[in-house]
Amino acid sequence: MNSGLGASVPSAVAVGLVVLATVLIGAYGQRLSRTTGDFLVASRMVGPTWNAAAISGEYLSAASFLGVAALIVQFGADALWYPIGFTAGYLALLLFVAAPLRRSGAYTVPDFAQIRWGSLRLRRLATVVVLVIVWLYLVPQLHGAGLLLQYLVGVPRWVGVVGVALVVTASVVAGGMRSITFVQAFQYWLKLSAVAVPVVVMIALLRGDAFSALDTPWAAPGLGFGGGAALPEVYSVVIATFLGTMGLPHVLVRFYTNSGGGAARRTTVQVITLLVVFYFCTVLLGLISRSAGADPAGGDLVILGVPARALDGSAATAGTVLAAMIAAGAVAAFLSASSGLLVAAAGVISTDVLPGRVRDFRVAAVLGVLVPVAVALGAGGTDIVRVVGMAFGLAASTFCPLLVLGIWWRGVTVAGAAAGMLCGGGLALGAVTAGIVLGDRAGRWSWLLEQPAVISVPVAFAVMIGVSLATRRTVRPEVDAVLARLHLPGTLHHR
Amino acid sequence: MLSPRRSVTPTTRRSCVSSETDVSGRSETDFEHLQATPEFARLRRALRRFVFPMTVAFLAWYLLYVLLTAYARDFVSTKVFGSVNVGFLLGWGQFVTTFGIAILYSRYADRKLDPQAEQIREEAGEHR
Repeated sequence: MNSGLGASVPSAVAVGLVVLATVLIGAYGQRLSRTTGDFLVASRMVGPTWNAAAISGEYLSAASFLGVAALIVQFGADALWYPIGFTAGYLALLLFVAAPLRRSGAYTVPDFAQIRWGSLRLRRLATVVVLVIVWLYLVPQLHGAGLLLQYLVGVPRWVGVVGVALVVTASVVAGGMRSITFVQAFQYWLKLSAVAVPVVVMIALLRGDAFSALDTPWAAPGLGFGGGAALPEVYSVVIATFLGTMGLPHVLVRFYTNSGGGAARRTTVQVITLLVVFYFCTVLLGLISRSAGADPAGGDLVILGVPARALDGSAATAGTVLAAMIAAGAVAAFLSASSGLLVAAAGVISTDVLPGRVRDFRVAAVLGVLVPVAVALGAGGTDIVRVVGMAFGLAASTFCPLLVLGIWWRGVTVAGAAAGMLCGGGLALGAVTAGIVLGDRAGRWSWLLEQPAVISVPVAFAVMIGVSLATRRTVRPEVDAVLARLHLPGTLHHR
Repeated sequence: MLSPRRSVTPTTRRSCVSSETDVSGRSETDFEHLQATPEFARLRRALRRFVFPMTVAFLAWYLLYVLLTAYARDFVSTKVFGSVNVGFLLGWGQFVTTFGIAILYSRYADRKLDPQAEQIREEAGEHR
C-alpha cells in the first residue's frame, strides 16, 4: 500500500489547501454562531439546498470516497452493493422517519426517546448508543487520515490522526453546527470535483482503454465477495446500509436543522440526487483504476496511485495534478465526516451529560474526540468500508427499530424499546468483538461476525415488539397526542 | 456523571426549541381528540397506502437483483452495448428507482398529505 506512488509535492500542497479552506470557512461561519441554537441545530435556518449538500458532504466519508472505488477494483460489479445501500438508506429515511421525526421537535435521538416515551432511563440508553455509534464511525476516519498522510507526506501515522482530530475539534469548538454546515457543503462539492474531474480527464485521455476491465470475467456480477458466502453477506450489507442510515446520529442531527417536515422531505430528495451523482463518478473511477492495472489487494489508498499509473509519458503532468485532486478530496472526506460525527457527539454529551450551554458544547466536543483518537492510535490495519459498515450495522440494530416502531406503532413500551435496543446492539457489538478476538479462526462464519445485521436487526425488531406486547399495560395514554403531533405538519403558519 | 437533579427538559435546551414544537401534554391543540377523528385516520391511511407498497416494491426489486446476480450469471453477463452488461444496468437501475420513488413520494406528500393534514389542524384550531 505504501508504494510511495502518490507521495508528491502537489498532493501535499493540495491537502494543505483543503485544510486551510476548511479552517477559513469555519472561521467565517463562527462569526454567525452565538446561541446554543446556532451550535446545535444551526438555528433551524438552513435551507434544503445547503442542508442537502452539507448532509451529503458529511455522509460521504472516506469509506465512500476511497473505499467504494477500492471495492470496485477488488470485487468488480458486486461492490455496487455498498453505494446502492448507502443511497437507498435515504429512501428508507425519507419514507419512514424524515418528516415525522422533524415534527417531533426533538433534535437528537435521546430527545426523541424522551418525547415519545417520557423516560429518562430510555433517554440515557439512547445517549450511550449514540456515543458508541459515533465513536465506531470516527475511529476509521482518524485511522484512515493517519494512513493517508503517511502515504502522501511520509509523516508517522499518529501525526495524521492527531492533526485531523485537532483541525476538526477546533472548527467544531469554534462555530458548532452553523459553521460546520458551510464547511460540509463546500466539502461535498470539493469531493465531487475531486472524483469527477479525474474521471472525465482520464476517459478523455485513455479513450477506449478506460473501461477495458469491463470485458474481463471480473466485471460479471455475482462472482465477488468471496464465492460461497456471497449471498448472505450481500443481504447483511443491504440490511445494514438500507436500515442503518436512518439511525446514524450525525445524519439525524442534520435533519433537525430543517425548518419543517416538508423541508426535511425536500432535503432528502436532494441528498439522494447528490449521492447518485457522486457514486456514479466513484464507480467509474473504480473501473478506470482496474483497467489501469490497480492492485485489487491494494487497500483503500489504491485509487491515489491510479492517475500516475494510467497517465505516463506526455500526460505525466496531468497524472500528478489528478493525483493531487484525489488526495485533496480524500482529506476533505476525512474532515467532513469527522466534523459531522463530532458535532453529533458533542450535541448529546452537552445536553445529556452537561447543562447544555455553549461552553458545555465546546467542552463536550473535546471530550468526544478523545476516545476515538486513543483507539485510532492503537488500532492496526483496518479496511475503512468494513469498519464503517459496523457502525451502520449497530445503528440498524438499535435506532432503526426504535424510530420506525416508535413513529408508526403506538404499542411500543419503554421496556420493549430498551430490550430491543439492548438485544440488537448487544448482538451487533458482540459479533464484531468475537470477529476481532477469533480472527481467522472464525473461518466460514467470519462474514457473519463482520456483518451481523442479517441476524441482529430482525432480532432487535422481534424483541422490541415481543416485550412491548408482554408489557402492553404500560403504554402511556399521552402517546396518542405524541403520535398525532408526529404525523401532522409542525406548524400551521410556517410556510 | 449524570446528575439526577436535572429536570426532564432543561430550560437551556428548551431555548432553541420553539413553543410550537412542544409535544408535552400542554400543547395548544387537543391531540388526543384529533387522533380519534376519522379525518386523522384517513390521513394515516393515505400515508400508509403510499409508504408500505412502495417499500415492498423496492425491496422486491432489490431482492430480484441479488438473486439474478447470484443465480443467473449468464443472463446478467449478457452484453447490452459495448462492454456494458445486463448486471451493470440492473445495478444502476437500483439507483434510478431509489431516486424515482423519492421524487414520487415527495410529490405525493406535497399534493395529498400536507393539504389533508393542514385541514385537520385548521379544523382542530377552530374547535378550541
